[in-house]
Amino acid sequence: MDWTGSFRKAWVVTGLTLRYLLTTRRAIATGLLALVPLILTLSLAAARVVTFDTILFQNLMIPLFLQVVLIFVTLVNATALIREEIDDNTLPFLLTRPISKPALVAYKYIGYLVAVLVVLIPPVIVAYGVTEAYGGLAFTTDLDVLWGFLAATILGSAAYGALFLFISVLVRRPLAAGLLIGFVWESVVDSIPGDVPKLSVIHYLKTILKDVIAINPLGQYRTDVSAGVAAGILVAVSIALVILAAFVFQQMEFRQKAG
Amino acid sequence: MNGVVEAAGVSKWYGEVLGLNAFTASFGKGITGLVGPNGAGKSTLFKLLIGQLHSDQGKITLLGENPWNNVPLKRRLGYCPEQNQLYGWLTGQQFVETLLRLDGMPATNARNEATAALKVVGLSDAAQRPTRGYSRGMRQRAKLAQALAHDPEILILDEPLSGADPAARVHILQTISDFAKDGGHVLMSTHVLYEIERVTNNIVLIHNGKAIAAGNIHAIRALIDTHPHAVRIETSKPRQLAQALARMEHVVSFEFPAADTLLVRTRKPDAFYKELPQIVSDTRLDVRGLESPDDSLDAVFRYLVG
Repeated sequence: MDWTGSFRKAWVVTGLTLRYLLTTRRAIATGLLALVPLILTLSLAAARVVTFDTILFQNLMIPLFLQVVLIFVTLVNATALIREEIDDNTLPFLLTRPISKPALVAYKYIGYLVAVLVVLIPPVIVAYGVTEAYGGLAFTTDLDVLWGFLAATILGSAAYGALFLFISVLVRRPLAAGLLIGFVWESVVDSIPGDVPKLSVIHYLKTILKDVIAINPLGQYRTDVSAGVAAGILVAVSIALVILAAFVFQQMEFRQKAG
Repeated sequence: MNGVVEAAGVSKWYGEVLGLNAFTASFGKGITGLVGPNGAGKSTLFKLLIGQLHSDQGKITLLGENPWNNVPLKRRLGYCPEQNQLYGWLTGQQFVETLLRLDGMPATNARNEATAALKVVGLSDAAQRPTRGYSRGMRQRAKLAQALAHDPEILILDEPLSGADPAARVHILQTISDFAKDGGHVLMSTHVLYEIERVTNNIVLIHNGKAIAAGNIHAIRALIDTHPHAVRIETSKPRQLAQALARMEHVVSFEFPAADTLLVRTRKPDAFYKELPQIVSDTRLDVRGLESPDDSLDAVFRYLVG
């Protein structure tokens, strides 16, 4: 196997994807949305809210960041990876190069992951920093909170991205299906008894937060796995979904316009 | 089976619609023109050849190999799609360079080869401009540049002259001709027979997904000359252009379907295409694009297939 050639191709496709996701209007919209937690913490600080500490930070970040911003940003970007190339008729340029379809999917997914983390990670770090600074604490005082949210952001981006990418190669209108899964299923699944919550990404993200952060508002949250197991499950599911997406893409035909 | 392209009883359905209907043909070396009206099956055939579709029935080979999911074969082909969308945020240079690097080419080589390819198609001056600002003719040339930059054995060009202005047409046809002279094979589709005549005598007529005739262009042209050929010209001054074109004896009629469009019907398309650039140059009128609506060709096909 020509590793140098493969690396070059991976670099080019990843770079092309990064540029595509970070330089179009979509990047402005998702970037602004990703800033919401930061804007909120800055507002709380400016309003001199007395109870503003890392507990309040977590109370805001779990429903707002994990269950809205993260899902929306990953949905918009992951569904664009293949589907927009099909809709824009630019896919033939990539498909007529000596690069396999599964490799193309994998490289695009890597580009996606870098792009969404560039958008999502800095606001989380700065919002955490603002919270600590407001309480007159050093940046390193509650590092478990920061690590917990960074882990949830990275693993959530990977898992949601893989899920939405898979949906995008299965259906023509992936946004609608993604919205349904991201904002309906992921929201209600916690209230379903039994092991059903294990069929959601948010369950494992909350498990990680509960296990990693010493003082957290998830004390009553039902979970029987550790953060390590939850992280392992999310990584495994992400890899499996990317492989499935690659397999489906490998069998796909691209008609665009029948002439 | 030793042609550049071999198709034996190839059929392709889009649901209930038949894209190709037991298509059988063998395309030899050099330039082959695939001529047929829109919807005849040209793009479907090309998509089968580049491995974007797979056939529902029959067998198709390109350079002796099955194209479906055949990654090594892609090194040997250059494809120019019909659609004009490019990665608009990339410059012409970046566009060609990026695609070359997907062939595994090192960055420096890709840069040099991209520069050379853009020069061949006459786009050097616009190489550093984002492609979103390119005219249709420039887009056609950029697509051609990326198709030939990696020195493929065969070029598959889907309507490469569609919408191109007269200058771009000359450049594109010259590039295709030079590529074939250097030993390359070209498969080029069009719904305008007269475009292909300038670069090859070897054509295949396709209609309703079937190859209905193949061989020398002149015999087929004789049939077609009896049908007026329509040319749609995009210009800011259609009436002034009509006045200038009226001196051509073979022009049958003019229509003005839009404020910036002139539709000309001529009985001698070859003479028309030959004389047009000079008239445009003499009158200094702005011609942004040329297109041939395929109604005239469609009439010929109806005549040929009875």
